[in-house]
Amino acid sequence: MMLHACTRLLPAWLLAAGFLAAPAFAQEEEPPQPAPEAEEAVEQAEVAPAEEPADDTVSPWLAVIGGDVYTVTDGVHRGATVLCKDGRIVAIGADLRVPEGARTVDATGMRVYPGLVAVNTSGVVRADARGTDNHDPYALNQDLALTGGLTTVENGGAVVKLKRGSLDGIIVGETGWVRLDVAPGNTRGRREVYAGLDKARDFLRQRRAYQVAKEAGAAEGMEEPDPKSVDRRYLSLLEGDASAYFRADRLGDLLAICDLLEAYPMAAIIDGGREAWSIAGRLGRTGARMILIPRDKDWADDSLNRPSGWSIENARTLWEHGVEFSILPADTPYGGVRGRGVSTGGIGGRDLVTLPIAAAYAIRGGLPQDVALRALTIDAARILGVDGRIGSLEPGKDADLIICDGDLFHYRTFVQWSVIDGEVIYDKEQMPYFAHVRPRPEPTPGQMLDALRAAAAMQPVEEEVIEPEIIEEEIVEEEVVEEVVVEEPDGSR
Amino acid sequence: MLTTLLLLAAPVLPLQDAQATAGRATVFRVDEVRTLDGKTLKNATVVVREGVITSLGEAVVVPENAEVHDLRGTGAVMTPPLAVASSSFLARGSRGGLNARFLAAQSLRLADDWADALLEEGVLVIGVDPPGAGMPGRTSVLLVGQEGPLVHDLHLKIDTGVGSNKKLVRDALAAADKAIDGEEKARDKWKKEREEWEAKQKEKAEAEKKAKEGGKEEGGAAAAQQGGNGRGQGKGGEQEDKEPPKEFEPPKIDPNVEPVVEWIRKQRVAQVRIGSAADWLHWQELLGDRELPYQLVLDMEPSRFSGTTSTNLHEVKEAIAATGLRVLIPAVPAERTFLPYTRIRMNLPAELVDAGLEKLVLLPPMSSPDGIAAWRTSVAMLAATGLDADRALRAMTVDAAAALGQEELSGPLKAGAPANFVVWSGAPLDAMARALYVVHDGETIYDRARAEEEEER
Repeated sequence: MMLHACTRLLPAWLLAAGFLAAPAFAQEEEPPQPAPEAEEAVEQAEVAPAEEPADDTVSPWLAVIGGDVYTVTDGVHRGATVLCKDGRIVAIGADLRVPEGARTVDATGMRVYPGLVAVNTSGVVRADARGTDNHDPYALNQDLALTGGLTTVENGGAVVKLKRGSLDGIIVGETGWVRLDVAPGNTRGRREVYAGLDKARDFLRQRRAYQVAKEAGAAEGMEEPDPKSVDRRYLSLLEGDASAYFRADRLGDLLAICDLLEAYPMAAIIDGGREAWSIAGRLGRTGARMILIPRDKDWADDSLNRPSGWSIENARTLWEHGVEFSILPADTPYGGVRGRGVSTGGIGGRDLVTLPIAAAYAIRGGLPQDVALRALTIDAARILGVDGRIGSLEPGKDADLIICDGDLFHYRTFVQWSVIDGEVIYDKEQMPYFAHVRPRPEPTPGQMLDALRAAAAMQPVEEEVIEPEIIEEEIVEEEVVEEVVVEEPDGSR
Repeated sequence: MLTTLLLLAAPVLPLQDAQATAGRATVFRVDEVRTLDGKTLKNATVVVREGVITSLGEAVVVPENAEVHDLRGTGAVMTPPLAVASSSFLARGSRGGLNARFLAAQSLRLADDWADALLEEGVLVIGVDPPGAGMPGRTSVLLVGQEGPLVHDLHLKIDTGVGSNKKLVRDALAAADKAIDGEEKARDKWKKEREEWEAKQKEKAEAEKKAKEGGKEEGGAAAAQQGGNGRGQGKGGEQEDKEPPKEFEPPKIDPNVEPVVEWIRKQRVAQVRIGSAADWLHWQELLGDRELPYQLVLDMEPSRFSGTTSTNLHEVKEAIAATGLRVLIPAVPAERTFLPYTRIRMNLPAELVDAGLEKLVLLPPMSSPDGIAAWRTSVAMLAATGLDADRALRAMTVDAAAALGQEELSGPLKAGAPANFVVWSGAPLDAMARALYVVHDGETIYDRARAEEEEER
């Protein structure tokens, strides 16, 4: 695994090992055969070219080699390779052959996760639903988000990839949320929402009646209902074309939302939900998805004769009742105003680079670790409606992944590389932010010796059986729920 | 002064040189001539006659009867004059949005002594930007010391990048495209009308001919009917027969859009100003497949950068260098704060040259008289930290003049070239060096000694 064509990413000594091994393999190289994309990778002989390809064209292939791959939707593949081509994941497995000339990242001993997804950010990017005209793809804030493992964020209704240095194809979707407010305090707004939905429902009933009559040939004399008479937003909610978005923390607000969703079943997103743990069952039955801030703390109100305030078990309780959610860091109350969502402003901005720590807080409250990972990846992608492209590591999905030097939820862990659309866009060692903090370890002399021995011991390819299909080794059926173990640098616990 | 007195006493001497009859020669003898076409002449003599360098070299005979400035042994160095390729302090005002109809020359606000600060620093020619952002107009060029602009209308200034400026340029390009389209349609319409009219005239002539041959009344009625059958409704036949103009008259274009139209038609060069890597990407996106002539100005004003205190243009240096564009960069000090807590050295001109940039032009660090005064020391700092010194000097003289289309005013020094040069008291990139003489077309337009004398008086 260590002998593949490596560009700048592998340490020089590994390169040297590759050079040593190269002549032996070069003779055994099989002529390239025309093959479909996925098989191409397998059928090519495992060769470490002594030199980079003569022409300057960048290989469409990227191989992230030897890491523990946390796919989110298909368990964990230990010591596996993620093979990507033209920005998409082609295959994940332990025995994949890497095509000649492919760009590689040596993830041995590291963990590979899907890129993290954050809903409702501010200040990370400037692209929004209006377009990319204001976007700075070199902005400091975006770089900081990359250091924290984020690869996709939602900003102003647009789902934006943090593709450093690019404006092309960075907007991968639009939320199109319909913002509703049915808080008990907002009597007028609440009446408007109900009236609008009533009207939309009546329209849908009338239209259905008209269509039925028309099919039966009895529509004569009936007037076709005019869709212009109804507010399109309410119509799209009831027809399932859009999701309703609510901002609610307190029990009263949450109950009002439940009332609405029970009267008018529709896709809904509730941002906040500090007291949601106290009505988790009812919320679960509405099917609403949530955006949780596990560290959003507020004391219980002793004057109330009901449960109130925050709970460390909020995320766990909601998960137990079937609520799907995304997680966000708490934005520190700054200047007397409680901020919302991911931002890089003020002291709270530091939280942006610790998004997994916010999730770790929910894990501390009992949330299984794999569920926390889902909340930062596939569930967030689903809330944004882009789960078909991002949020998990699966063949056919976008090659958006992060390579961490440890457990994602451990406070010591750094993102070493971020890959978006099959391109390495963040390398901790190459960027000025954290390169100086615990630099990527140089291999020990013993490891170097092992690698050289392994290179010398490798037999020519003739001994290998060329398998026509991808071999996946050691797929862990169920996600292993790992405890967050606080490990001191000296190894003691 | 002694030389002058001697020369004044000299006319009685017979003229030996045949060339001397063409006019009196001026001779500069200096320790070094940096010709800036790759040669450095030591202990050289330069003979100027009638505004032209007639000879220069180490073994040049000094014509008799010549006015001789002998500066050998003083460390004097001769170079082509400096040229400021872009500046904003000589034209005042502020215009935002699409105002391409204006000329910088219309907004000139020149103090009485505006030329002094420039000549003192060896600047002979200066490009003046129209004031304002967006598309504020077209640049002009001034010959330092001369009244009235040398060139009124040069480049179309475009300020672009992230946000509203991008929209402005996009809209301007769209308006120009529309105008071009409108003109083409009008031309087609005119062509069709003209052809129809010509055919009709022909028909009429034939009908008349026939009428003459046949019955007179019949033919006349047919012709009248034909005239009335045109597509004019309610209009008389006479009006329909009105001859369309022989030459096509293009429809009038908004004067603010016209320069953009000329630019799209490659009849005009633009001066495009960006300040960050993001600006460059947005500009590339705006251009799309268009191939338009322009030169690039890298604006290093801190206000242009988001989130950092300095430019991040080095992120796109390869892309910029690969375009082969002429790039104008202010000579800002090399070390800048990049992030809070992180200072990195950045010598953008040197990095661009390393990336393969060929047409480098250095601008003063700030667009002000102070900036002009600090120009040579700023460039020296860039040269001290990685930029080739000869390249740096060229970037503020001959290459800068080329950016203004004024190669004549600052070109490599050689026999036969116009006599435009500066004599410095030392190496031009030495902070101690001063301009002693600035010569334009053989005429000494700045003489430091005389200027100081006048000042004392």
